[in-house]
Order: sequence, then structure tokens, then C-alpha cells
Amino acid sequence: MPSASENQRRSRVRIVDILLAILVTLGILAYILDVLALRWGLSTTYIAKSYPNYLRAAWISLYVTTIAYFIGMGIGFVLGWARSVQTLPLARVMAARRREAVAAADGGSPGAGLFLGTVFVYSIKYYVRRTADAYVAIIRGTPLFVQIVFVWSAVIVFYPRLDPLFQGLLSGVIALTANTGGYQSEIFRAGIQTVHSGQVEAARAIGLSRWGAMRYIVLPQAVRLVIPPLTNEYIGLLKASSLLAVVGSVPELTTFGRSEAFQTFHIFEAFALVVGIYLLITFPVSKVVEWIERRYRVPGLGIQAPRTARV
Amino acid sequence: MAVGTILFILVLQTVLRFNILDPVLWALYFPSFLDGIVLTLRYLGIILPLSAVIGFTVGWARIAPFRTLSWPLSVFVDFFRGVPPIIVVIFAAVLGPSLLPARFRSQDIGIIIAALTLAMHSGAYQSEIFRAGFMSVPRGQLEAAQSLGMTRGAAMRYVVLPQALRLSIPPLANEFAVVVKDTSLLAIVGGFELFGSSFIFEQQILFSPGNQLSWIFVVWTAVALVYFVMTFAVTELLNAIDRRYHVKGLEAVTV
Amino acid sequence: MIRVEELQKRFGALHVLKGVNLEVQKGEVLVIIGPSGSGKSTLLRCINLLIEPDSGRVFLDGTQVNRRDIRPEWVRQQVGMVFQSFNLFAHLTALQNVTLGPVRVLGTDAAAAEAQGRKLLDRVGLADKADAYPAQLSGGQQQRVAIARALAMNPKAMLFDEPTSALDPEYIREVLDVMAALAMDGMTMIVVTHEMGFASTAAKRILFMDAGRIIEEGSPEEIFHRPKQERTRMFVGKILR
Repeated sequence: MPSASENQRRSRVRIVDILLAILVTLGILAYILDVLALRWGLSTTYIAKSYPNYLRAAWISLYVTTIAYFIGMGIGFVLGWARSVQTLPLARVMAARRREAVAAADGGSPGAGLFLGTVFVYSIKYYVRRTADAYVAIIRGTPLFVQIVFVWSAVIVFYPRLDPLFQGLLSGVIALTANTGGYQSEIFRAGIQTVHSGQVEAARAIGLSRWGAMRYIVLPQAVRLVIPPLTNEYIGLLKASSLLAVVGSVPELTTFGRSEAFQTFHIFEAFALVVGIYLLITFPVSKVVEWIERRYRVPGLGIQAPRTARV
Repeated sequence: MAVGTILFILVLQTVLRFNILDPVLWALYFPSFLDGIVLTLRYLGIILPLSAVIGFTVGWARIAPFRTLSWPLSVFVDFFRGVPPIIVVIFAAVLGPSLLPARFRSQDIGIIIAALTLAMHSGAYQSEIFRAGFMSVPRGQLEAAQSLGMTRGAAMRYVVLPQALRLSIPPLANEFAVVVKDTSLLAIVGGFELFGSSFIFEQQILFSPGNQLSWIFVVWTAVALVYFVMTFAVTELLNAIDRRYHVKGLEAVTV
Repeated sequence: MIRVEELQKRFGALHVLKGVNLEVQKGEVLVIIGPSGSGKSTLLRCINLLIEPDSGRVFLDGTQVNRRDIRPEWVRQQVGMVFQSFNLFAHLTALQNVTLGPVRVLGTDAAAAEAQGRKLLDRVGLADKADAYPAQLSGGQQQRVAIARALAMNPKAMLFDEPTSALDPEYIREVLDVMAALAMDGMTMIVVTHEMGFASTAAKRILFMDAGRIIEEGSPEEIFHRPKQERTRMFVGKILR
């Protein structure tokens, strides 16, 4: 017969569950570390001696990431703005205008009329929008490795006498900037569009101009929406900066760890240090962002940002 | 869109001074190019299904009320989400083979292990997708199914799961596209997929005096194009599946 | 046919059911009224064991059913439930919603289930909507499909948890009509509702519940016009304008 003791039983099960969970988690971790350390040997002296170098390398990673992030933010904001313009009406308007232009040109030589009508009728706005679309599509559709190497090749070809470190640094920053610019534009676009509907109408109804509406109504709200995904994007960019290892000349954390591993043969220690430092930075930040998102969440309002670890 | 791509390549050609259709280059490069594409597809054939299985299983398990199951798995997911995949790939390829019995160890095995690690990496992200999908199905659906006398298992199978899977498809399409791009990481441990073989070929161009430097751009533009097509194909495939099974009114709640 | 003795249920610190007793005879329509938070929904869900009571006994046809050796699924096949938020299976058509239970739980053959399903949809007035998806149906139509879905299991009794509370006013009538017809056909029903019109015409007895206890019970005439308890009087006064 279920009674008040039923509740007691349930809370006892819950406590056991939690204890068991902690035990199992720590146990598995301990076992893995034990097996790994035993098999590959864990030299704590090496770790104690070289961790400052790793921290220095991490600093370089952060340095590169931060520069690329903020320049990319400028690009992303502009692109996001450009892409938040409604396309469907735009495309329809363009198609309609083109039809008109073609009809009007039928009087003269139809071929030239058709061509001219098409090209000039699609306004600047349309081309700007399409270019922005293309840019973002390329960034998202190609691996970061390819983007980095492409820029790197260009830098080598056009500046062959530059020091390899600077070649690498320049390529890295350019590629990462372009990359994060593309992804951040998606974030800004989503933020602007989420707020946009109805708000601009309401703002203009009380007498604000389109610019005023943007400045006082849309943007302040968009800013709030956009902060969690932007923070995640920073973390994503930091992880992406690890791909500069393909260039090899920039001593960021991953490159450094890799070269250390192969030079000193302390492979597992290098791995542990690199992984440890990355986790130390990314884990707290992403948990904080998760907490913020959960706390300030308005159901139905928010941005589903695409996964930003885009290799 | 095709028009735009062609236009873009033409612009690029003029700016960077190269010719994408250079026959001399292609005579040299085409074998590596093709081999790379084939190998990329083969890796994808392993990694995509495996990551989906991992993602689904882990996502499912993390919803279970048993913390004993969900906490270790949360650690797994948080680990792979917090660490750059390239570093895990490198060390999996180097350290992984030593976990196997001696007769299996080789560099090739290292690359396979790295590929499996990529599957785990994507699996961690996919588990979040599936988990969100499960949680998006309103609780009342489960209640209603049970009120008809269905066991929890039957309710999951006929009511909750069909809806959860449909909801998961769009973000999954995005994730699959990322996996396609992730295969390029295998190059750094010696995999000769598209990026890897093209990179090696590029190094040959750079260091052979007779060849034009502008060939480098041809190679990378072609490579970028192929990846672009592959990611597009993958997302379109999943979108097609989504359209086929789409039910009006069943949309994900955006968080 | 359904009897409940001394039901107790706590959710953490919240004591939702404080010793509830209830009895419904075969063919009887019992209406439960009361303010929100009084535990009415919890009570219903204890009857078909969607919620496990902390203590107390639930009887179906004289047999105690909240026992460890009786599968709750079996109980739920005997007692159908209609929800406030309809809970139609969004990925299935109306007809598929109705046939899912018989096919997957009762093992009915698909053709027979479909025939029965169409008959039931016709009975609730939605024969032409068999292939529509829930998102294409109005609230009232969805709720009627939900009733057909529950009936498809041939239950001995039906539980209704505020079936019309989530409906736009113009759709309430059609659902209440279906429920009234069901009552006329002799279905045993326990209905939690705020619809006093339905309560006074269809119900044989009304229970007033507040803060986890049954405060008063009686015929509609008694509860609405001659309530004995003060709390009943206050509640009835507020809702019968």
C-alpha cells in the first residue's frame, strides 16, 4: 500500500542515484586517466616545467582570436544588416520590374532591350544583398582549412619575402576574420529580424522615422538577443583558431602542443595540457552563457544560432 | 545560384590572375583531385551514420531520469564540445593505435581512429540536437498515449519518437554539413581525403620551379567548389526528407 | 463502478489531495466543480493511474486497481480520458489518431480498426475530416476527435478534464453536445468542468471540491440552489451570475 513511506523511498532512490552518478563519472574518468597515464607515462615534471610555455601559446591563440573576432564583428554587423532586408518582396519586385522592362524594350531591338532591362532594373540593393548572401554561403559551405590555406597561398604568392611567422599571422587573421564575419552576420541578421516584425510598424505609428525606429527600438532589443550567440561565437572562434596548425608558423596553442609532442615525445602530457587549457577557457564561459540563456529566456523569443564550430 | 557561382569564379580569376580551366594543371592534378573526393565520401560513409547513432543514443540517454547514466554522458558531451576537434584528431591518431593489440597498429589505423573520434565529436553535438528534439514534444502527447493504455515504450515508439525525429531534422542538416567539412581535419594526420591530397599537391607546385604559382588558386577554388557542392547536397537531402515527412503544425519551439 | 477511498497525494511540500472519497455508479454522470488548484485534475489522473496516489485505494468494478501486481496500462484501457489541451497526436491524421490505440494496444486488425474509427468519427460529426491533420482542425473539432479516440478503446468509463476550457466560445457547444449524447447512451462519465449548463442538465450528481477535499455533494438542484456549505455557496455564487 503506497503511503508516506513511498515518498521517502523515492527521495532515497534519488540520493542513491546522485551518489552513484558521481561515483560512476569520477570512476570512469579516473580509470581513463589511469590507463592512459600508465600506458603512456605521465611525467609530472614535464608538466610542471613547461606549462608556462603552453600558457604563452594560449595567449597567442586568444590574441589572434580576439583581433579576428572584433574586426569580424564589424563585417558581420554590416552584412547582417544588409541581409535582414526582406528578400522575398525584393525578388518579386525585381521580377515584376524585369518583365515590365522587357515589355517596354520590345519596341527597339529586343535583344539589347532584354539585356539592359535585366541588368539595370535589378537595383543596387539587390546586388548588394546577393553578394552578401554569396559571401556567407561560401564561408559556411567550405571548410575553414580550405579558407585558411587559400588566404595563405595568396599571401605567399603576393608577399613572398615576408617572414613565415607574419605570413602565417596575416593569413590566419584574415581567414579567421572573414570566417567569423560570415557567422556573425547570421547572428546579427537573426537578431534584427526577430525584433523587426511589428516593432518598426509600431514605432513609426508613434511618429519615429525608419532610422529612428532602428536606433531606439530595434537595435536595443536586438543587442540583448544577440549577446549569448555572440559569446558562443567567440568560443567557437577560439576553437577554430586551432586550425592555424596547418600553417605551422604561428605558435598558437594547438601548433605549440603538437610540436612539443613530437619533439619531446611527451605526447600525452602535451595533449593533456592543451586540452586542459582549452577546457579551462571554454567550459566556464559556455556554462555561464547557458545559465544566462536559461534565466532570461522568453519562450518563443530567441535565436537558433547555427553550430559555430565550423571547421 | 549556379549563375552567381560562375560569375564569382570569373571575378576571382581576374583578380588573382589564374585560369580555372588550365588543362596542363588538370592533367597533373586530376588524379589527386578524384582520389581525394572518393576518399572523402568513404570517410563520410563511416562518420555520418556512426555520429548519428551516437548522437541519438546519447541524446536519448541524457533524458533518462537516471543521473547515473546522464551525468557521465554529460561529461562526454561537454568534453567534445569544449575542445577543438583538430587536437582530438591529432592525438587520437597518434595515441590511439597504442591502445590496440600490437598487430593492428599502423598509421592507417591511426587515421581510422581519428575518423571515429570525429564521429564521437559530431555525435556529442548531435546528442544535443536529438535531446532538444525529444524535449520539444509536448508532455501531453505522452500522457494522451498512456491514457489509451500504451506502455511507456509503446508511447515513445508510436507517438513521441516520430515527432521528436521530425523536429530534429533541420538542425541535423546543418550538423551534417559541418561533418562534411570536418573530414578535412583528417589531412593533418595523413588522411588523403580531398583537402589532404590537394594540400600535398599544392606543396609540390610550390617547390617545383617549372610550375606556375597561380595554379595554387585553381586547386583551392576547385576544392572549395567541391566542398560547397557536398555541403549543399547534404543539406538539400535532409531538407527533402524533412519536406517528405513534414506535418503541418509540427514546428520546433525556438529557444 | 468506480470508487475511490481516502486518496492522498503530495507533490513535494504541496498537499494536493487530502483524503478524497468518491463513488460513481455504472451509467452515471458525475460532475466535479471547484476553484483551480483544488486538485480536480490530480484526482482524475489518480483514477486512471497516470498519477500514483501516495495512499488510498482506487476501485474499478469492485477490484482494487492501484496495486503493484496490476498493470496501470490495463486500467487505462478500461477508463478513457479526454484532456483540456486535446493532446491529439500531431503527426497523425484524425483517423490515424483514432485507430492507433486499437491497433497498437488492443491488437485489433487494421481494417476493422479503420471501420470502427470511421464510425466513431461519424458519431462525433467529423466523418469528412478523417484524413485531416490536427493542425488543420479547429479546437472544437480536435476535441471531438479526442473523444472519438478515447471511445475507440471501448472503455467502461470516461474521464473528462476540463474538456472545453481551452476552446473558443463558438466551439464549446459542439463538444458539449457530443458529451451529452454520450451520457444519453449510458456512458459512465466523470467530468471536471466549469460549464454549469452542462452540469445542470447532464449530471446526476455534482461534487464541489476545494483545497484537496470534497466539500459537498448533491444533485445539481441542491448544489446550485440550496448549497449547504459556506464555501460551496461562495463558489456557486461567483460562477452563477
